[in-house]
This record gives sequence, structure tokens and C-alpha cells, in this order.
Amino acid sequence: MPRPVLTLLSRDEVEEIHSKAISLLESVGIFFEDKEVEKFLLDNGLELKNGRVLFREDAVREALSKAPRKIPLYDRDGNLVSVLGEGKTIFNPGSAAIKILDFGSSEPRNPQLKDLKDLVVLVDALPGFKAQSTALVPSEVPNEVKDAERLYVVLKYSAKPIVTGAFTVENLPLMVDMLRAVREDYRARPFAIFDVCPTPPLNWSRVTSRNLVDLARLGVPAEIISMPGLGGTSPVTVYGAIVQHHAEVLSGITISQLVSPGAPVIYGGSPTQIHPYFGTAVITAPEAVLVTLAYRDIARHFSLPVHGYLGLSDAKAVDYQAGGEAAYTAVLAAVAGFDVASGPGMLEFESVQSLEKLVLDNEVCLMAERVARGFSVDAEALQVIREVVLEKKGNFLAHKHTRAKYREELHLPRVWDVSSRGKEKKPSLLHWAHEEAQRILREHKPPMLDGDRLALLDSVRKRLWERVGQSPPAI
Amino acid sequence: MSGTAGETAAKLFKAIVDGDEELSRGATRKLLEEGLDPRDIITQILVPAMRKVGELYEKGEYFIPELVMSAEAFRASMEILRPHFKESGMPVKAVAVFGTVRGDIHELGKNLAVAVFEAEGFQVVDLGVDVPPEKFAEAVVEHNARIVGMSALMTTTMLEQRNVIEELKRRGLRDKVIVIAGGAPVTEEWVKEIGADVWGRDAFEAVRIVKKMLGVE
Repeated sequence: MPRPVLTLLSRDEVEEIHSKAISLLESVGIFFEDKEVEKFLLDNGLELKNGRVLFREDAVREALSKAPRKIPLYDRDGNLVSVLGEGKTIFNPGSAAIKILDFGSSEPRNPQLKDLKDLVVLVDALPGFKAQSTALVPSEVPNEVKDAERLYVVLKYSAKPIVTGAFTVENLPLMVDMLRAVREDYRARPFAIFDVCPTPPLNWSRVTSRNLVDLARLGVPAEIISMPGLGGTSPVTVYGAIVQHHAEVLSGITISQLVSPGAPVIYGGSPTQIHPYFGTAVITAPEAVLVTLAYRDIARHFSLPVHGYLGLSDAKAVDYQAGGEAAYTAVLAAVAGFDVASGPGMLEFESVQSLEKLVLDNEVCLMAERVARGFSVDAEALQVIREVVLEKKGNFLAHKHTRAKYREELHLPRVWDVSSRGKEKKPSLLHWAHEEAQRILREHKPPMLDGDRLALLDSVRKRLWERVGQSPPAI
Repeated sequence: MSGTAGETAAKLFKAIVDGDEELSRGATRKLLEEGLDPRDIITQILVPAMRKVGELYEKGEYFIPELVMSAEAFRASMEILRPHFKESGMPVKAVAVFGTVRGDIHELGKNLAVAVFEAEGFQVVDLGVDVPPEKFAEAVVEHNARIVGMSALMTTTMLEQRNVIEELKRRGLRDKVIVIAGGAPVTEEWVKEIGADVWGRDAFEAVRIVKKMLGVE
């Protein structure tokens, strides 16, 4: 079956980058803010030099040999959704936006729990998104419970797998308790992935390193999201950023495998170009995308599942720039075979979500998916052409082959203007997307969690809110 | 300034504008050897040079990499001059406490702000990175600071800026200081929302606003 193939690095180039990353790990090492994690690594035979942990090549090699090649991903109710490592892209909304942009507004506002619930219900209904994420940070809940409260809402209102993450050390085990409440076999049939980010260049903060250790211990998939900012927190060159990125991810993989050999890890990233004038972290800049495509080849070289921040935009509004950036990165994600692509719905340097953009990005992701699927050889084609030319006056619509095949062969977008110009003035695409989002919120009945599972989840949530001496709000 | 001092002063000015750290050190030492008052070196050479850098940035001729290199050259010169301040009774406009908020260990923007504020005659206390709210508040008391500058590069750590302000309020310090919130994701709207005083597109704008608020133009 012909499929588009996108490869950036040759095997030799991958090996060269890998050896340079190893050289960085062996000579410069990694700084750990958390001394317990540092001690754990030293107890496991790594060395400390100038306050930084040096990662030997053999320790990294052993970790790479133990990390799983495939991670089956299930939904909340235990059905297999995808096998990470096979290159079939799962798009999910960009996570942890601290603002939401309403239709008709030019100023993003602080999201509430209700906004997160709406977003989850919308994403549940959109077929382009095979997974959810804890996409909005609700502003009205106390900081101490923000991360886990997001997970509660997603688990309650959707069955799709989830990409999430903790903001604190303390809440991560409790978030895993939420998974356990929903399904006892959350380890054997994982349905949530947690993001952990090293801090560039070559550091791990207390929260993220402890999260990574806890995730390995608890057997929950960890997505290691290195974030080199070209020209700010990494070399300005694409090549330099790739070397640094790879070294940081390798350190994460080594930690997870030392804690628990075979712990599920995903090779991820969120490289950006630090704009040399505005100082902004531009995630859809071509150079950032090149880093992402390059590390995809590195991850594949080591047979690791791979994640990227793609299908999103740095624009401030749902406009031409937003569409262009989301579309070009989504197509690259699907064609390059990223297992997980996070980002749809997002604007403004991963800080703003938009329901309308989610509706439009859903179309973009489905189109990208269609391009990546390629096509199969049609054994009937020759005969069909012969028959239509000789018997049907050239009208393919009059041949049963068209009717039999068109639905599986053609991608037909729903909210996308491909009709002819009519007499009626059409609403703008953004207006149409808004109406579609509202229609879904009115009509879609999400598969709500209920019965014992909801009762168990509610009891974990109650424990969470006891930390701030409050009762959980109704949602 | 005339003769060799004038030539060396021009060299130092150029070193700052060009971001040449070594030349900056050498020229600063030479000017001290030639008997120049450190106050004059700062007010007549370093500050105008940094202003020039700011102008070039505002015109779009300089980008952040040039700004940072100039800030480094400025810092190199200041390191040599600082030991001489006590002797010369260097007046300061006010004390400013700067730091990157808890959970964030990025310091590029913060370091630039430190250089710009020092250049404009503020005494800067640099608390470094990953600074908890309590440490900001303690530093305000300890140094009798009038300005608090807090930086954050990530949207997740930006939320910490609110906690710094809450901590200042809790200790009854909020009204005694001007609070600057800075960092790539920080917007004017965010600054208003958390109750900070100053948002500048960049350190140069921030220092202009602070000087205006203090009435020390």
C-alpha cells in the first residue's frame, strides 16, 4: 500500500547525534534539583561531578534495551485504542492551557471547571481526536488541587485515553489513585499518559524528576518532553538543539528504567524557537519542527514510541496563521508517524485553548490522517475505466464502483467550505465552527462514568480537596 | 574626557554596544588606572551605552542575542567597578530585588533586567532562580527594597507570580514596593489580573516606567 514516507536523518546521522549526546551526558552530566533523585542515581552506580550526575554510556545503553518497544493504549473502559510504537498518530488537544478564547472575543479569559467540562465533551464527540488531554487549568480551584481536578473532569465525562501531567510531587500518586478507582488494571491496560519535562539545558526540576520516578514505580506511561528553546535554552542551531534534546530524553529514559526496568516511556518533545526579537517561544517555527522530525527518527532508531507537539498554532486568534500552522504541523505529524501528537485547539505558545479551533483542527487532523493513510492498489480500476468510457459516456458517477468505493476512499470534511458559491451569503468558517461546537455541546451525550467507579473516583477527589480543607465543587 | 581617557572611554562605550566582554573589562580597568571616578564611568559611559543598546533594540536593529551580549559586557565592567562604589559613595536610585519564580530555572530575561536596572543606577539584589515567594518577601525587608522584579518563562510557573504578590500582601509589604512581572508569556492583562504594577515589553520599558513611578527621571 503506497504511503507517504518522511525521513530526515540517515542511520549514520542518528548514530552521530546519539554519540554526541552520550558525550554530553558523560562529560557535562545532568543537574538534579531534587537530592533524593540524585542520591538514587548515585546509589545505582552513576557518578557526581561538579554537582552534576554523569550518565555513563553503558547505563544509557542498558536502559534503552529495557524500555518497551510498544505500549498498548486503552480507553477508560478497557478497549484497545492504539498500539504506541506502530506509528499511527493519536491526535489530542494541547494540554494545560491557562486561558480560553471565546468566540467573538480577542482577549482570552481565565477558564473555569465548566469550560474544561465543555472542552472534554466536545473532544469526546470529535473523531479526529483519539485521545483527550487535561487541556485547561481551571482558575477558580486552589493551586494545590488544579492538576488532579483536571483529571477528574476528563475521567468523568469521556472514555477516550488521556494525556495529562502533575504540577506537584504530592498529587501524582493521587492522580494514579484516580486511574485505579476507574479501572483496577490501569497498569496492565494503561489509559493515561503523563508528561514530564526536563528543564533545558540539562536539568531536572524537583517536581518533574520526582514525577518521573513515581510514574516508573507505579507503571504508568511517562512521556519525556524535552523543551529546547533554540537560541535561548539550547544552541540556536537545529543540530545543536537536537543533540541537547536527545541527551535530556536519554537521561529521563535512564532514570525510569533504573527505577523499574520495562517501565513504559515515550520519547517526546516540545522544542521551540526563542524568537530573537520578541523573546517568545515559537513552537511552530520551522526550526522547532525540524528538531521534532529529527528526534522522531532517533526514537524510531531505538524502536521507542514517539510523541510531538504538533497540530497547534502560536497565533493569537483563530485566523489564517492559526490554520496554516496547525495544518502544516498536523500533516507532518501524521506522515512522519508520530504515535502521539499533542496540540490541537491551542494558540499563543501553548497557553490558550479555543473550542472553535478544536472543531477546525479536528478537520485538519482527519485530513492529515487521510494523507498519511496513503492508498491501496485498485485491481478493478482498469476495467472500470474501460466500462465507463465505452458504456457510460464517460460518467463515472453512473458506475457502481464509484458508489461502492467513495466512502472509504474519500475524506469528506464536515466543517470546511468545499461547496460552490451559492446565492446565500455564507457565515464565515469560524462562525460555522462556533455553531458546530454549540450543536455538539447541546446534542452530544458523553459516556459518563457512573455506579461504583464514579463513587470510587469521587472518594479520591474528596481526599484531594481535603488537602485544602474544602469540599469539591459540583461539576 | 580627553586624550587617552577619551579614547579608552570610547572603547568601553563601543565594547558595551558591541557586546565585547573582554574589551569591556580591559577598558574599565584602564579607565580606573587613569584615575577616572567609577561613578563617572557608569553615568557617562555605561548608562549611555546601554541606552544606545536599548535604542537599537527598539529600532529593530538589535535582537535579544545582541542585548544579552551587551548586558554581559556591562556586567563584566560592573564587576570591576563595584568594589570601588563604597569608597566613592555611589548614590543609588533605589534597591531592586530580582528573581525567577519558584519552579522555574530560566534566567536569561532576568539577567538582562538586572543589567538594565544596574545601568540605570539601581542597586540590584539578584536572588537567582527558583525563588519561593517567602524569599522575595524576606529580601524586600532585608534590603529595604522599593522594587520587586519577578520573572517566569513558562505558562505553568507564571502562576507563581500571583503567589509572590499574595506573600507580599500577607506580610504587609505590598504597598511599599513596585512589583514588575516579566517573562515571555507575561502579558499586560496578566499583570493587571495578579495585581502587579509594571509590565514592560522589555527591560528598557520596565525601567522607564519604574523611574517615572519613583520620580527619578
